[in-house]
Amino acid sequence: MGQGWNWSGFADYLFNPYILSGALTTLWLTLAAIAGGMVVGGALALARLSGRKWLAIPAHFYIWVFRGTPLLVQLIIIFTGLPQLGLKLSVIESALLGLILNEAAYLAEIVRGGIQSVPAGQTAAAKAMGFSNAQTMRYIVVPQAMRLIIPTLGNSINGLLKTTSVTSVISMEELLRRTQVLIQEKFMVLELFAVAAIYYLLMTTVWDLIQRRIEQHYGRAYGHGSAPTKVADPALEQR
Amino acid sequence: MKLLPALGAATALFIFGLGTASAQACKSPVPDSALVKKGTLTMSVNPTLPPMQFVDQTGALKGMRVELGEAIAKRLCLTPEYVRIEFSAMIPGLQAGRWDVINTGIFYTEERAKMMQMLQYENQAISISTTKGNPLKIAKPDDLSGKSIGVEIGGFEERKARELDKQLTDKGMKGMTIRTFENFAMAFQALRAGQVEVALSIDSTATEYQKRGDFDRVLSGLFPTPVAIASRNKELADAMAKVLNDMKADGSFQKLFDQYGVKPIDGAVTVKGPAAG
Repeated sequence: MGQGWNWSGFADYLFNPYILSGALTTLWLTLAAIAGGMVVGGALALARLSGRKWLAIPAHFYIWVFRGTPLLVQLIIIFTGLPQLGLKLSVIESALLGLILNEAAYLAEIVRGGIQSVPAGQTAAAKAMGFSNAQTMRYIVVPQAMRLIIPTLGNSINGLLKTTSVTSVISMEELLRRTQVLIQEKFMVLELFAVAAIYYLLMTTVWDLIQRRIEQHYGRAYGHGSAPTKVADPALEQR
Repeated sequence: MKLLPALGAATALFIFGLGTASAQACKSPVPDSALVKKGTLTMSVNPTLPPMQFVDQTGALKGMRVELGEAIAKRLCLTPEYVRIEFSAMIPGLQAGRWDVINTGIFYTEERAKMMQMLQYENQAISISTTKGNPLKIAKPDDLSGKSIGVEIGGFEERKARELDKQLTDKGMKGMTIRTFENFAMAFQALRAGQVEVALSIDSTATEYQKRGDFDRVLSGLFPTPVAIASRNKELADAMAKVLNDMKADGSFQKLFDQYGVKPIDGAVTVKGPAAG
């Protein structure tokens, strides 16, 4: 009983405002999760790298828990489990909180990796020149770490755009959920999910282009905007 | 003649003979071509609606629909096999030939009857449940105005939730906030957590939850509609109709329904669906 492909149905769904608004929801969820995730993740990374045990250990614990459990489980716990303990968050609050807390753990590791990969010689030279710890971070380490952080961070953002679909489990009305709701109309499953796929592809592709520009910006000291191949000044390199 | 090969041949003939004898004792009226898997009645079910279809603590499938499915399969000389899946995937799956039958109490609608063979066998209706004690004092459909309602996505129930919402807005009242979940279990979980104020499901389930003391059934009997068992293949549907009518005739049908407190459909079970299939 194959229905075949319905071009007019596909075209209708492609410009369907119900689905379009779902796509916009996916977009702002991603942006909010990234913004929040970077703030929390950046702080976590610094805490993790800190010499102070009272910062480093809780940060490590947080990262371990939130990277070690599925986002789906985290969302369900926040949405239907926390109310048992007296904390009831709305659908949007739960979705954002889950996404931010989860993403922060991954971003913390990405930032930490980037920072630790800047050669120790750079920090030593900065200290020798009288930079404070904060100044070293800001002017020497982080700008160089960004070249390593950006591609992985960009990859994470690309993933997050699609991971937002998991929030449909707690009834969040994003792209996937909106697509599912429309199946009941005429059962054009293939056409509907093709439309959803196109929207996801559109968003991830736009992000890819933005990411390329950012990479070029941070890679301008090295001649081209791709992953680093050698340290800027061999004289400062330490083995 | 050597003894061993002779004994071997005799044993083989004996077992083969036994095999064909038992097959002759129960030969399925349904041809293999009508089935997704030979000798098997593959049924899709969404076990999140006690007492009609649910899982117990060991994860075993239980409920009236499961028992009915087993009875039908037995009478058709087929092995019952269940595919547990969300309702929203069932109709596309049936059309794609992933299972023979949707045995999840699918509501009968004319629209659905154009896509599959439907055998109406039970009378159901929509119910609204709240947390214990009915704190919001819901007594009539108008009381649902401005409330958040949890429902399973993709089914008759979701459609009725939207209809209820429209009824309210048509009267100039505030509508409901409809929250869709993967299945009823999640919707009721959201109700328990206070994330939605009411949950919409079927009469039998709302009654069961009330009986268990989990949730209160505050409205019931809304949109009374028969539920059906559905198949893609017409030969299978005709065979199932015969089985169900046999069960009606010998009283086992009524017995099953009484056990679960559900209302069977009046009259004979007929097949409604597209002419060829």
